Amino acid sequence: MTIRATFLGTLCRPSFVVAIAAVAIFVGPTSAHKAPHTPEQLKQYEDVLMEEVRKGDLLFHGDAATAKQMGVVLSTTGMACAMCHPMASDTHPQSYPKFQVETSKFATLRDMINWCIEKPNQGEKIEIDSEAMKALEAYIAWSNSGSVLVPGKH
Amino acid sequence: MSDELDRIRREMHAVLQQPGVRPDDSLQITRRTFIHRSLLFGAASVGQTFAWWPLLNTIDVAHAAEAPFKFAWISDTHLYEKSLNTRFVDKVVRAVQEVQAMDPPADFLIFGGDLAQLGKIEELELGVDLLKDLTIKKYYIPGEHDWYLDMGKKWGELFGQPNWTFDHKGVRFIGLDTVSRGPDYWTVKKMTPEERMGHMATLDGTVAGAWAGVGRDQLDWMQKILADWDKSKPIVIFSHNPLYEYYPPWNFWVRDWREVNEVLKPYTKVTNIHGHVHQVLYNEIGSMRSIGMLATSWPWPYAPEGVPKLTKPMIRADPGDHFDGVGWETVNVNAEDKVDVEYIMWGRKEVFVQSDPDSSLSQPEKLRPRMADNMWPY
Repeated sequence: MTIRATFLGTLCRPSFVVAIAAVAIFVGPTSAHKAPHTPEQLKQYEDVLMEEVRKGDLLFHGDAATAKQMGVVLSTTGMACAMCHPMASDTHPQSYPKFQVETSKFATLRDMINWCIEKPNQGEKIEIDSEAMKALEAYIAWSNSGSVLVPGKH
Repeated sequence: MSDELDRIRREMHAVLQQPGVRPDDSLQITRRTFIHRSLLFGAASVGQTFAWWPLLNTIDVAHAAEAPFKFAWISDTHLYEKSLNTRFVDKVVRAVQEVQAMDPPADFLIFGGDLAQLGKIEELELGVDLLKDLTIKKYYIPGEHDWYLDMGKKWGELFGQPNWTFDHKGVRFIGLDTVSRGPDYWTVKKMTPEERMGHMATLDGTVAGAWAGVGRDQLDWMQKILADWDKSKPIVIFSHNPLYEYYPPWNFWVRDWREVNEVLKPYTKVTNIHGHVHQVLYNEIGSMRSIGMLATSWPWPYAPEGVPKLTKPMIRADPGDHFDGVGWETVNVNAEDKVDVEYIMWGRKEVFVQSDPDSSLSQPEKLRPRMADNMWPY
């Protein structure tokens, strides 16, 4: 009962109602999701991914203009992620989450991205849900497409 | 594996790995480990940390040297200007100190390329400055990072001809330039020298293409300088890139390895020592053996495919220790007419993996080439 009451209470918040309405407007009529996907829709989804991958690729390879545009300092030593991880090799996104030896903590890929930024690259760590983080994650995952999920593997 | 890569791999196997063809019978590999005299540098901290316990692994290669001697190899220092990166400088300083302290001293040093990171005058001059403390004779071959800002102009001014040969105590040494004959990817795209260098300096870039090669002219030169050399006498060839095909997307090869093999085939005791891969590598190709050397700057992971079966992989480096996974090498030609290549990896008691979890190869990975460097505005 407590849970339900809280949920109803949340629904009554004006800001949340506005957000739901906004999503509905963008997504379309409630029945829209029941229609088969169109090729155009699939293309849009793919485009969204590939734009993230493109930005992530540039950040990962030390592109100064992209880093500046996204307001991040991923390195101060001239090192870029790709210098130790060409083609995002040895990043092993398929092994996360896992116990991370470097931090002695159970970690996600994003945690490790930040560790690499701070330690080897001597840069400034980025917000865990920032645009730059999503882009880096997108590029690393895309580069490793087809690798088999083995969470926890060292 | 791509169809193209698969085709090349099969061809290389068919051409080079024919039944019964191996380096000279007397060239048995033995690996032994012992603690190096450079241990003395860290005498005060030996008790506390393995970091001062460089472990050496040796590959014995029989040959007919006239007298025992040793030489040293340093490569892939990838120096930025000192104001940007001091870690790379520190590691060159350490390698230079250790080579200088060798006792008995090395007869000479081979610098195996990629002195600079972006080919800048300041970077190359910094390298010269750091290496000047080494008083032994030094020989240089270029890396792609040294070359593609000004197409080797400054490198040539500092070090002269990029390929060379000399004989030393019964061994013919050859230095090759495997970097300067890349395809022209910059003219049509109207790249600035910095843009050209930027693509070349990105190992996994897709724009610079298959730049590593020996070239017909240099192959002819090599054939000429070997014409008077006894087929059973030892030859040691230095190159930045490996003289076989390991992983073309990262130019871990020379594209004309077939022609290289044609020139070297008659000679039974050929050893190729190369940089560029920043990792421990060992392979036998026909009658040639090939040994990959460590960088001082940073280690590359093994490529997702194509690692030679004869390679015992090096340990997965600790990214939190910039002295780990890197180092330099001595090559010791001893009284029994053998060559020992000794990996001096800082920060490790064990250079080679002892079990799967120590290896970057323990996690199979499928990788795609990058995509953004071929898109606007590139």
